[in-house]
Amino acid sequence: MSDQSNQTTYWKSLNELAQNEEYKKFVEREFPEDATELSDQVSRRSFLRVMGASIALAGFASCRKPVQKILPYSRQPEDMVLGEPLYYATSMPFQDSVTGLLITNYEGRPNKIEGNEDHPSSGGKTSIFHQASILGLYDPDRSRSPIRNGEKVSKEEFVQFASSHFADRNQSLLFIDEATSSPTYHRIREEVLSAFPNADWVTYEPFSDDNRIEGTQIAFGERLRTVPHYDKADLVIALDDDFMSPHASTNSVENSLKLTARRKVETASDSMSRIYSVENALTSTGSYADHRLRLKTSQIAPFTYALAAKLSSSLSGLSAFIGFENEFSSHKWIEVLANELLSNRGTSVISASREHSAELHAVVAVLNHALGNSGNTVTYHRIPHNTDRNEREAFISAVEELRNGTYDTVVLVGTNIRQTAPADLAFEEALSRAQSTIHLSEYADETSAICNWHVNRAHYIESWGDGLSFTGQRSVIQPQILPLFGGLSEIEFLNLLLTGEEISGHELVQQTWSSSLSSDFRREWETILHNGLDQESHFPEVSVLLNNQFEEAVQSALTQQAVSGIELTVKPDSRIFDGRFANIGWLQELPEPMTKITWDNVALMSAATAEKIGINPTRSFRNNDVPLVRITSGNTTIEIAAWIEPGHADDSITLTAGFGRKGLGRVADGVGVDVYPFRNTNAMLFAAAVAEPAGRTYEVACVQDHHSLEGRDMIRTATLEQYKENPDFASFESFHGFKVPGMKEALAKGDDRGPISLFNEQYGPDHQPQWGMAIDLNACFGCGVCTIACQAENNIPVIGKREVGRRRIMHWIRTDRYYEGDPDNPSVYHQPVPCMHCELAPCEQVCPVAATTHSEDGLNQMTYNRCIGTRYCANNCPFKVRRFNFFNYTKEYLTTGDDPEIIQMAMNPDVTVRFRGVIEKCTYCVQRINRGKIASKIATGSRKPADGTVKTACQQACPANAITFGDLTDKNSVISRSKRNERNYVMLEEINVRPRTSYLARLTNKNPELG
Amino acid sequence: MSKTYEYVPEPALVKGNHSFKDITAMVTDINIRPTPTGWYIAFGISNLLLLLLLVSIAWLFWEGTGIWGLNQPVGWGWAIINFVWWVGIGHAGTLISAILFLFRQGWRTAINRFAEAMTIFAVMCAGIFPAIHVGRIWVIYWVFPLPNSMAMWPNFNSPLLWDVFAVSTYFTVSFLFWYVGLVPDLATIRDRIKSKYGKLIYGTFALGWRGSNRHWWNYEKSYMILAGLATPLVLSVHTIVSFDFAVSIIPGWHTTIFPPYFVAGAVFSGFAMVLTLMIIVRKIYGLQDIMTDDHIEKMNIIILVTGSMVGFAYAMEFFIAWYGQVEYEKAIFILRATGPYAWAYWIMIACNVLSPQFFWSKKLRRNVAFTFIISIVVNIGMWFERFVIAVTSLSTDYLPSSWGYYSPTFWDVATYIGTFGLFFTFFLLFLRFLPMIAVAELKGVMPQADPHNYNDKGEFVPPKVEVPQPYTKTS
Repeated sequence: MSDQSNQTTYWKSLNELAQNEEYKKFVEREFPEDATELSDQVSRRSFLRVMGASIALAGFASCRKPVQKILPYSRQPEDMVLGEPLYYATSMPFQDSVTGLLITNYEGRPNKIEGNEDHPSSGGKTSIFHQASILGLYDPDRSRSPIRNGEKVSKEEFVQFASSHFADRNQSLLFIDEATSSPTYHRIREEVLSAFPNADWVTYEPFSDDNRIEGTQIAFGERLRTVPHYDKADLVIALDDDFMSPHASTNSVENSLKLTARRKVETASDSMSRIYSVENALTSTGSYADHRLRLKTSQIAPFTYALAAKLSSSLSGLSAFIGFENEFSSHKWIEVLANELLSNRGTSVISASREHSAELHAVVAVLNHALGNSGNTVTYHRIPHNTDRNEREAFISAVEELRNGTYDTVVLVGTNIRQTAPADLAFEEALSRAQSTIHLSEYADETSAICNWHVNRAHYIESWGDGLSFTGQRSVIQPQILPLFGGLSEIEFLNLLLTGEEISGHELVQQTWSSSLSSDFRREWETILHNGLDQESHFPEVSVLLNNQFEEAVQSALTQQAVSGIELTVKPDSRIFDGRFANIGWLQELPEPMTKITWDNVALMSAATAEKIGINPTRSFRNNDVPLVRITSGNTTIEIAAWIEPGHADDSITLTAGFGRKGLGRVADGVGVDVYPFRNTNAMLFAAAVAEPAGRTYEVACVQDHHSLEGRDMIRTATLEQYKENPDFASFESFHGFKVPGMKEALAKGDDRGPISLFNEQYGPDHQPQWGMAIDLNACFGCGVCTIACQAENNIPVIGKREVGRRRIMHWIRTDRYYEGDPDNPSVYHQPVPCMHCELAPCEQVCPVAATTHSEDGLNQMTYNRCIGTRYCANNCPFKVRRFNFFNYTKEYLTTGDDPEIIQMAMNPDVTVRFRGVIEKCTYCVQRINRGKIASKIATGSRKPADGTVKTACQQACPANAITFGDLTDKNSVISRSKRNERNYVMLEEINVRPRTSYLARLTNKNPELG
Repeated sequence: MSKTYEYVPEPALVKGNHSFKDITAMVTDINIRPTPTGWYIAFGISNLLLLLLLVSIAWLFWEGTGIWGLNQPVGWGWAIINFVWWVGIGHAGTLISAILFLFRQGWRTAINRFAEAMTIFAVMCAGIFPAIHVGRIWVIYWVFPLPNSMAMWPNFNSPLLWDVFAVSTYFTVSFLFWYVGLVPDLATIRDRIKSKYGKLIYGTFALGWRGSNRHWWNYEKSYMILAGLATPLVLSVHTIVSFDFAVSIIPGWHTTIFPPYFVAGAVFSGFAMVLTLMIIVRKIYGLQDIMTDDHIEKMNIIILVTGSMVGFAYAMEFFIAWYGQVEYEKAIFILRATGPYAWAYWIMIACNVLSPQFFWSKKLRRNVAFTFIISIVVNIGMWFERFVIAVTSLSTDYLPSSWGYYSPTFWDVATYIGTFGLFFTFFLLFLRFLPMIAVAELKGVMPQADPHNYNDKGEFVPPKVEVPQPYTKTS
């Protein structure tokens, strides 16, 4: 029996959790009943009134003028049609860069995030963090007021405190913040530092580019940002670098877009770049690579040095490595990579994971330089806000000073440093030496709990700000809504500390920008708001020269040995990063791209390592129980579920940080295990460890229980050479050696659309558009943003770990991940699976009440109102894309806590929310299709929208442009071109359901030397 | 020239040389005499189980289908298994009463009433499941073709809709058949019972039966017509139930062998269930002279035949999977035997294919205790057959990525056990208040009903039959 109700760590619904007594205490109302109504409650209705008024008065939805009057829409504001969304450009700050976004705004309610096509950091594409941040905005667990010593107080009290406390300009102050690229922020920071002579300011990010920047200092004598240009690269070598994933690179969207663009193959004459990946745990980038070598994290650096040594005989500038030898010098890959690099001079990119040592990054930079990549495929840029010191070292020494009692007041901006600081710093103890501590954060989190003051921070979607993209485009952040829970943005907060008064972010940002814009500020400013960025701006490129001290600086690093025996690696989690997204249900429930685990972090290890430790590497298909492993490193011991990952390096355990949050919110609390205690100032990435079985098991909710293709043809793949020889390799006949049964008979009857069928054709009429989709498996790297974008667009509920563990996940588009080949280092395939919209849909034939039918434009429609929930359609779906509302998931999801209206605001008004007992599934975003058809009918009289005007949510978000969608009756449309591609195939062609969703076969650009 | 042979007489269908009066008393006294304590105990237990069913259903309606272990990809679990199982059990009753009637199998009269009652109650148990397993029970009436302002009809392509018609027709015809057969016996009880209310109630339901020649004539005709109507239903109902699976495209479901195989399986399980009940009942009520060991043996032969047919079907499924060379079909059959549900598959094979083979032995066929055990084993096996078909096919279908294991929850089990409460509640009421044996019909097959070929002492003297020699040309 799989009843798991005795597991206290799981909860079926947010309601259930909220009813728990302990929790009730935590979420108790912050104000007496009446006060809430007056000052705090943002009900949908009052909120509409306020927003309506602000738009009506200001004419610009993003202007946050003080609004006292409440006006109904008695006269419709200009540019505003009720029910028609407006789109505003903004940017999402993430660490030290921003990504340009376009936000869909329904009557003043931001609702859906897309990439800004005009912004180079996005190109119209997004990552899971961008997509999910809208739910972060509507998170009812966000802090709603300042807290003084555990007691909620009004913002005015904090303003009073700040103006009196910071009147003393000579006090000794320490600011610790998280990385930001905001020019306004840095302007105020400078003002603060000059106003307070005894102030120190350090930045700490648990996972940052610091080492990469430090590497350029060693290599070129200057702190620079390294920008890879994957679209220009024929050869990419990723050293443990998952640069396509948002948790491993702040510029992942642009990286993915560029890398996959270089691998788009339309005909057999096209070329592809070649990617090598050397890594510890399997990552998205590694799974996408043509060749992958698994090495322990600590072996990456010696491997790179051996490569440099190999190249030193052929390239100048590598004298430091002449004669150098280590255990990898005779490795087969060294020879292969060296040859490849030498034949791709100036057109290759080598990159290393940002958490690796500065010395490794220096060597990588020097290698790129020696290969002639600098200025071509890798450029270096000076960042205006970079300080000329190593921020991490500065942070460490600041904490030491703090411990010595140097600072009276500590101001923490944004960061959850209590959890994320290296364990050996004993930050909590050091902080207790300060008299006053102030913490600005979105959630009253672990750090807030040990500070005298917590100040609630406004979300980026509800506050003014600015920032610089990875390549330096000055971008604005414009609010889409008044702050839901009050709160201060970080610039308003700093300004308050500095001046003692509240100045709106709008004014602060304008102050910064007015200095850089020309005389006609108003006009230029409005253009920038419209575009979301100053399109002229970028970081100037720096031409670099090898630093003389490089040789000396790396000498000590060269002798470093890899860890012998088992080591552990701590990485940011691919869904919740360092923990900052931990309370976003969509991300917690997103299957981890490689393991397909939800709601947990696990200890990843290879089967061989598991056996060595004494853990059974085979996982039962019958239940979710996974053995726990006890890992000890230094003084820290934790117990965590052991997960066997094919392709993981042996003698190595990978852990992801960000879990194990306490007192953060309903979603994050109690999920996973905190692994930050393993990180020390001298071991931020990896450390030697001892592991043993804990002798107990733990339930893990994994959405995919079988990982082998079983020789089936769902994924079809070939090497580039094989494709050139046989461009038709992906066809059914090539794969199986015989024609699709019934095809000959159909062709004899003059029908080329598929095998003969007993049923009347359901192919739609030509006067309607006929929708189809093609997914390029050669582009997909499994990031999962399609799932999150779909979830945001289509109001898909979050159902919690227990329900996911019972295999009831609701996602309309999933990404299947298959392993094939060598179990120790398998090939990995990702396959996004939405509804196939079969022309002869098996689901439609079996529904007893005709709740699922075909539309004239070729959609397999689901009529929720008619559905009685027999689940026969789901059973008869060969692709298993239909989802059933086993419980009233939506109701549970949308009636969370005291003010469910907050989370309800995240719902898309164009999409029905589904009730208990009905089936739901991908609609090809029918609401977008119909919006497009109506617009087209009005504009041109044609029912067929122009190609590219209708985009599904998954297609729009995909940073690899893997998904194409459009009208099949338009022979010139992108989708028709994709369907004509030789690699186009459909799954299960022989059962003659005629899917409208097809796949383009995967290609790999193999090096024949590596087989 | 001719040769004279003797008839080999069939053993008497009713043993013990009872008179008609004895038989009437033996059967109807059960209904007339005071209720025994044992009946109350059994009825109490059945009621508790019935309560469990009601609670399970109430909780299901309140919480949603999620209380069961269903998931993606296994959208049908115990509910549909139980439905098919109960419907299958029902088949024996109709087969015994209709088909055996048309084939003039006199021995059926000892068990037909009893088996028909079992059919009706089993179909009631079965009918619950398709109704409650839907997500939105409050709109279940949409499966009926009710006229409505939207002119929205059900989807006549869907096997589930065919099920609605098939099962409801089956229930109606079975019920009518049963009731028509009851009329003469209800009149008998009316005549014998002392209680005023008893007379009134039995009299009402006896429809004024006086046993006149015309009554008998009408009765025989209507009984025969109903038997004719019920006969195709025996075959059609389970055929249509099998269409739920066979019409889909899921490997392991999509197979043309299902209709005959399901019907054979249904008869198999139905006879086993009749045996289980009969062996207990004849012991408790002392009816061994009517439900004789000969009956048990005959039924065991049917179990042996149908069990072997089912076994043959299992083998054919494998053969066709290999012969058809459809990758997915091959895979599912191999997975059934070796995959995650191999345990269920081998339970099924052991119970359904191997256990009936013992009945090749005449000694075991006539062994009551052994028969009782095998009859239960067969029904376990048949439950597992439906489990194997429904669950394994869904659990490991086309895309390996969507493969997933299904296990039931407490509520799946409780609902199933609860239906036994419903079944036995009705069955006990039947035993208590209605004649469990068709007395009038039974009398017709007793030796006493055939006054020929008896000598003065009432002993049977087989007639001599003259068989003419075939004509041969002689030169």
